Amino acid sequence: MLGVRALFGIGLLVSSRGGSVLTHTGACARVASTIYSKDLAHRQACTMANTIKYLGQEEAQHIDEELFNEYRFSVDQLMELAGLSCATAVSKGYPLQSLLKSPPRVLVICGPGNNGGDGLVCARHLKLFGYEPSVLYPKRPSKQLFQNLTTQCEKMDISFLTEMPEADVIDEVYNLVVDAIFGFSFKGAVREPFGDILSQLKKITVPIASVDIPSGWDVENGCPDGIQPDMLLSLTAPKKAANHFKGRYHFLGGRFVPPALEQKYQLNLPQYPDTDCVYQLN
Amino acid sequence: MNHSSNEKEPETIEPLRYLSKTEVATVETELLRDYRFGQQQLIEIWGHACAIAITKAFPLSSLSKKQPTLLVVCGPEQNGSIGLVCARHLRMFEYEPTIFYPKRSAQSLHQDFTIQCEKMDIPFLSYLPTEVQLLNDAYNLVIDAILGPETDQKEVKEPYAGMLVTLKQVKIPIVSVDVPSGWDIDEPAKDGINPEVLISLTAPKKCATGFSGKHFLAGRFLPYDIQKKFELNLPEFPGTECVIEL
Repeated sequence: MLGVRALFGIGLLVSSRGGSVLTHTGACARVASTIYSKDLAHRQACTMANTIKYLGQEEAQHIDEELFNEYRFSVDQLMELAGLSCATAVSKGYPLQSLLKSPPRVLVICGPGNNGGDGLVCARHLKLFGYEPSVLYPKRPSKQLFQNLTTQCEKMDISFLTEMPEADVIDEVYNLVVDAIFGFSFKGAVREPFGDILSQLKKITVPIASVDIPSGWDVENGCPDGIQPDMLLSLTAPKKAANHFKGRYHFLGGRFVPPALEQKYQLNLPQYPDTDCVYQLN
Repeated sequence: MNHSSNEKEPETIEPLRYLSKTEVATVETELLRDYRFGQQQLIEIWGHACAIAITKAFPLSSLSKKQPTLLVVCGPEQNGSIGLVCARHLRMFEYEPTIFYPKRSAQSLHQDFTIQCEKMDIPFLSYLPTEVQLLNDAYNLVIDAILGPETDQKEVKEPYAGMLVTLKQVKIPIVSVDVPSGWDIDEPAKDGINPEVLISLTAPKKCATGFSGKHFLAGRFLPYDIQKKFELNLPEFPGTECVIEL
């Protein structure tokens, strides 16, 4: 890659006009196509030979850090794409016309970190897709980003609950629950009020769609007596916990992984169809 | 929008509104100030939707050249940043964008977008050849992300004036992001560039009235309150799509 870049650099520095311009642009196009065809060939080989990689917790954290530090993505940007993937997966697994209860109410439970932020973005897009989301957001981080995402939801007339409903109320009122409580950084004990929330979620009969990791599960080993979601939306790449996922729908979302990053960690990501931002893994 | 089950009333479909330059500025100010959208968030939404619109106008299979190359020309302000995000998503969609970004904004926000593209191995040209045939030969289309509603289009400075002269002569299709660069927002240009495709972001602008090429509306994020306040009468996007052809 470095060799190609150097060639490229020399081509680009040619500043004289006339005959060399033809060479320059021709070279540009040729070199560009070299970069692109190398990448495509590599990816095709990967998809054929290997299956998608399931990440450990540390690996997931490293990838996240690289996306922000080296690739200079902002949390705003990636959260927007992640939340859009969530809403899209929900609408594929639970299309509006298939919902049993009218109006098409969905409960979105947002945790205290980035997973919660993904949930807020998801709620906003669900509203635009015609669903009627309500958000439970009991522990709100002080960062401006989360306050802004909350305002964006409020201004879309998305109601915020003041407390977690009981399981039987959830079953009566909502068609499904989006679990955006804990993500891949989760470790250790569950602090209140989330312990109580998770106990209620274990009792409900309506489907749960978990964002990235079923909340309460160990990110690598799962949780045999934890919540059992019907849908899992893995973001960027699935984590090892997904090996223990027994629900109906496993989607991959977060279609923003630069090819170089994918290659570095050998993620072997599948080819998303067309311009879709989700890919169904099962 | 409303999901309470009403009896079907005969609805008169109000026409889609085309916004003036002032209205565009007002909507954006409200989005940032009152609705608390972030600038980077909006640019990401717009760039992503723009890329999807381009894949609808020019599907990979429809491109005539061997490689799905396209040239994305980015101006110094917001329109240019949208072009950068658009290029990045086109890369994810298997196109082969090359970017020409002569005057880079000093804002760190826009610099981040540049680095993201560089890190996706998207090539950046150091200058735009004035020999139009070179562009016609190398690229399937040109994406014009030079000047948007935020710029005063009446005073187009160099190097953009020169670039627009070049673009007026290309034979390959031009896709303009939001407004055709060099056009006055409020009225169609008489001798400006002539894009084959226009991708209006959020809502179309007055200059797009009677646009004869393919016209897309891209970006599905506007809160209903703003839609109502400005009487935008946006069409209904199908399913989960964020782009609709007008």
